[in-house]
Amino acid sequence: MKRLLNILPILIALVVALPARAADESAKHEEENLDVKEIIFHHLGDGYGWEVPFSHVYRIPLPVIVRAEDGSWHCFSSSKLTEVTVTEDEATGKKHEELTPVVHEVEKNGKIYRFYIAHVSEHKNKVVEVFPLTPAQQAEAKAEALKIANEKGGDPDHMVVPGYVLIGHDYYREYKTFDISITKNVLALLIAAVLVTLMVMSMARYYARKGMKAPRKGMGFMEMLIDFIYTGVIKSSLGAKAPKFAPYLLTCFFFILTMNLLGLIVIFPGGANLTGNIAITLVLAVATFIITNVLGTKHYWKEIFWPDVPLFLKCPLPIMQMIEVFGIFTKPAALCVRLFANMMGGHMIVITLTLLIFIFAAFGAAALGASVVVSVLFTIFMLLLDVLVSFIQAYVFTLLSALFISAAQESGHHEEKLPDGKVEEVPESVEA
Amino acid sequence: MELFTPDFGLVFWMFIAFIVLFVVLAKWGWPVILKNMDHRADTIDKGVEYAQQAKHQLDHAREEAQKYMEEAQAKQAEMLRDAAKMKTQIIEEAKRQAGVEAQKVMDAAKVSIEQSRKEAELQFRNEVSKFSIEIAEKMLRGQMKDDAAQIKLVDKLLDEIENN
Repeated sequence: MKRLLNILPILIALVVALPARAADESAKHEEENLDVKEIIFHHLGDGYGWEVPFSHVYRIPLPVIVRAEDGSWHCFSSSKLTEVTVTEDEATGKKHEELTPVVHEVEKNGKIYRFYIAHVSEHKNKVVEVFPLTPAQQAEAKAEALKIANEKGGDPDHMVVPGYVLIGHDYYREYKTFDISITKNVLALLIAAVLVTLMVMSMARYYARKGMKAPRKGMGFMEMLIDFIYTGVIKSSLGAKAPKFAPYLLTCFFFILTMNLLGLIVIFPGGANLTGNIAITLVLAVATFIITNVLGTKHYWKEIFWPDVPLFLKCPLPIMQMIEVFGIFTKPAALCVRLFANMMGGHMIVITLTLLIFIFAAFGAAALGASVVVSVLFTIFMLLLDVLVSFIQAYVFTLLSALFISAAQESGHHEEKLPDGKVEEVPESVEA
Repeated sequence: MELFTPDFGLVFWMFIAFIVLFVVLAKWGWPVILKNMDHRADTIDKGVEYAQQAKHQLDHAREEAQKYMEEAQAKQAEMLRDAAKMKTQIIEEAKRQAGVEAQKVMDAAKVSIEQSRKEAELQFRNEVSKFSIEIAEKMLRGQMKDDAAQIKLVDKLLDEIENN
C-alpha cells in the first residue's frame, strides 16, 4: 500500500502532462462518435479474428468454416473477410487505419459463393452468404426498409430488413450459414483445453515417475487445488461414490477455472470472454443435467413423482410433481446463468471503467486526468476481484454440480423411519 | 440480445472439446492422480499411526526396563541377603562341626590319656610292688637272719590271722 502511495503522485503528474500532448490528437477523435455500447459488446462477444495489442485493425487470422446454402463446405482465412483501409488526413498528414468488412468471393465447382460479415442485418457479426439482387428486387428491399423506418423510426438508409443484408448502400439477399468456424472463442477454448490437459497429465506423469514423493511449487499448488476440490467438495457431498464422479467434477472445475483466468489476461492466449458466453456455460450445465438425471437412482425419481408430502398436494392435482419436474430444469439453468452472468458482468465492468477515460476525455484535460487515475485504480481493483470471482465461480459450479449429483444418488436408506419414531442415520461414508 | 443466444458453432466446439478433455482426463489423468493422492494419504496416516505406536511402545519399554531393573535389584538384594545368611550358617555349621570334632579328638585323647595313665599306674604299681617286694625281701632277709626273729614274725603273722 505504501509503495502504491509513492507511485500515485508520479502517475498523476504523468496523467496531467499527457493531455497537453494528446489535445491536438483528440481533436480528430472528437469527430468520431464514441459508440460505447458497440465497444463493450465487441469485447464481450466473439470474433472471426483475434485482436493483437496496440492495434485496432490488425488481427490474427483464424479459419472460417461454413456451409453455404447449397450444402457445400467452405474453409478460408478470416483475413479474407476484412480489409484495412488507410485514409490520410489532408490537414495533419496523419494516417488513419480502419478495418472494414468486404465480400469474399470463392469459386468452387464453377459456382461463385460470396461471404460477408454482416453488420446491418439480423445476423450481426456473423458470416452470411450473400446473393446480389436484380434492380427490381433491390427497389423492393429499399421500399421495405423505408416502410420499417417509418414504422419504428430511424435512418432509412441503415435499416435492418429481415432476409437482407446491407453492404455499402445496396441490399443483398442473405443466408445464415451453418457456421463452425474456429472463432476467437473456439480457439481460446481449445487453448484452455490443451492447458488443462497439460496441467493434469504432467501431474499424472509426475506421480507415475516419482510415486510417493510430494510435489513442490506449481505441482504442489495444483495438488492442493485437486485435494481442496476432491476432499472438500466431492468426497464430502458424494461420500463413497466420490471416485465415480470425481473425474467429471474435477474436469469441470479446472476447465472453468482455466477459462476464467485466461479471460482476464488481456493479450493473445487470453482475452476471450469464454465463460461469460452462454454457449459455454450451457454445455457445462447440460453435462451436469445429463449426469444428474441419467445416473439418478430410483429413489430420486420416486421423490420427484411421488414425494413424501400430504396426499392432497400430489394426488388430484400434481402440484408437487410439477414443482419437482420444473426443479430438474431450473437447477442446471441456474448453474448456466450464474457462471455466465458473473463472468460477463466482471468483464463488462472492467471494460466500462476503462471506457470512462474516453467518455470523460470529451470534458477536457482535467476531467481526463482525474478519470484516468480513478478508472485505472478501479480497473485494477476489479481485475483482482475478478481473479477471486474466477476461482469462486469455478468452485461454486463444481460444488453445486456435486450437490445435484449427490441428491440424485440417494438410495432411500439414508433416513428410514424406525417403528419408535426415531430417525436412523447412516453415516455417509458407510452408504454404499 | 446476441449475448443471450448461444451460438451454434461455439456450442458444437465446446461440446467436442469438453467430451475429448473429459475422456482423456478421466482415462489417463484423474484416476492416476487420485489413486496416488489417496495412497500417499493412507501411507502418511499409517506412518503416523506406526510412529505413535512405536512411541507408545518405547515409553512402555522404558517403564518395563525400569520395572525389570527394580526387580533385578530386589533379587540381587535378596540374593545378597541370602548369601550373607548362608555364610553365617556355614560358618556356624563349620564351627559347630569343628567343635564336635575337637570334642571327639579331645575325648579320644582323654580316653587314651586315661588309658595310658591307667597303664602307667598299673605299671607303676607293678614296679612299686616289685620294688616293695624287693625292699621287703631285702628287709626281710636282713631281719630274718636269725631264727628267733623268724619265729617272732611267724607269731606275729599268726596273730594277725587269728585277729582277723
